[in-house]
Amino acid sequence: MKRLSLVLAVLVSYSSYSYSEEVYGSTNNASAAGLNWVMTNVLPQFAGLEINGLVYQYTAVKDPESDMIVYVQNENADGNGYIFRNADDWSGLPGNTINKAFVIPNSLGELWGDGSIQIEGEGSVEDPSVIYTYKYDTCFDPQADPSCPGYEEIVEVPEIPFSDPLEDQLVLDELNRQAQIDREEEEEDRRRRQRESKIKDALENLLGDGSNPELLSAEAEKMALALFSVNLPTDYYSPLEGGEYIETVILDGGDIQDNQKARRANFAQQVLHQQMVDSQYGSDASAQQEK
Amino acid sequence: MLKPVIVLAAGCLIATGAAANTEIIGTVDSKCIVISETPGIYGNPTPNLLTTDPSNGGVKPIIRYDVISAEYYKARISYPDAFSTAPSLDDVVNWDGSVTVSEVSNTDMSGYDDNKVTYNNVTEYDLTVAGSTWFTIASEADYGSNKSLPAGTYNAVVEAECIPL
Repeated sequence: MKRLSLVLAVLVSYSSYSYSEEVYGSTNNASAAGLNWVMTNVLPQFAGLEINGLVYQYTAVKDPESDMIVYVQNENADGNGYIFRNADDWSGLPGNTINKAFVIPNSLGELWGDGSIQIEGEGSVEDPSVIYTYKYDTCFDPQADPSCPGYEEIVEVPEIPFSDPLEDQLVLDELNRQAQIDREEEEEDRRRRQRESKIKDALENLLGDGSNPELLSAEAEKMALALFSVNLPTDYYSPLEGGEYIETVILDGGDIQDNQKARRANFAQQVLHQQMVDSQYGSDASAQQEK
Repeated sequence: MLKPVIVLAAGCLIATGAAANTEIIGTVDSKCIVISETPGIYGNPTPNLLTTDPSNGGVKPIIRYDVISAEYYKARISYPDAFSTAPSLDDVVNWDGSVTVSEVSNTDMSGYDDNKVTYNNVTEYDLTVAGSTWFTIASEADYGSNKSLPAGTYNAVVEAECIPL
């Protein structure tokens, strides 16, 4: 029994064995179609692809006396500067075929922008060849393959058929019922407003001239007639009756004497007031007062 | 009493004065490597002619020199002046050939051809720049005076040496 369990365990572990693999490769000649190339057309599109080498070759055709510099280069993917650039200075030298190889510390392919062979000076480049070597991990994205470590089973999402709620009979019935209720409420509201309007009109008529006595009870009619029988003023400018009020107080004994105490107090207050005013205008005012 | 002491001291000196040899080992790795990259093939455009000219069905051999240290070596390349193996020949073979720099890894090497020294079937280059240099050798064997070469297989050897200066 133990042996059987062991065998089953081995089989289970074997069946669930997962691995990732690094794949190495090289591109075709990037410059086969010209001295400028687009890297996305050169590199295979694998997630996490890294460039680890570059080999280029071309033949410089030139006059030995002339100046010529050839740049083999790749821009940064963001277009700012170069991620790789090598210059071959052929100035004062006869042309020849040059062959160079570079080892590049693993560099993400997505960082590499468009490449080119640029010539400065007099001369030309023939038979160019630029080849990139690369590597990538087949399980860079664990979901790429069920055998990748870290792979998670994809949860099946049940397909729910789409149905337009506006085509559902129950919803339509409910909408129609709601619409009917709205119509009834609107009709009821309209009738209510109509009734209120009629009552208002009747009241206005009643309160107007009393020409519709049949709309009121006998008591109300009496009250209304009493109300309308009050004579209200017809003019806001009625004249007021005026007259003359005759002096009725008679002094006994002749003249009224001056109050001396009151005069002194009045004078003292006047002096005090003058001093206060002078203090605001300084010595000149005081001098003037002294004069 | 003093003498024995001196004798004893001399005896001690003799005992401690024994000779010994020790070894110093050094290894020198070559800083110049010669690699045969492309073997040559003779084409046979006419019965009397064997040539490596591609237009006549031949392939020129290519030899690569990898020099790690500049200005310490010179390349000596000899194109063939005899067959190493061939059918029996009873007439003279006229040999011709050349050596040229066909590829470089540094633009400064493109001046090698201007400075090469040629004598007999030998061409010498001063390897003044570190890096790889590819040399292409052309060879041609003309048999007799328009005489047909005997049928068979012909082999010839290009000698390439890296000679320390």
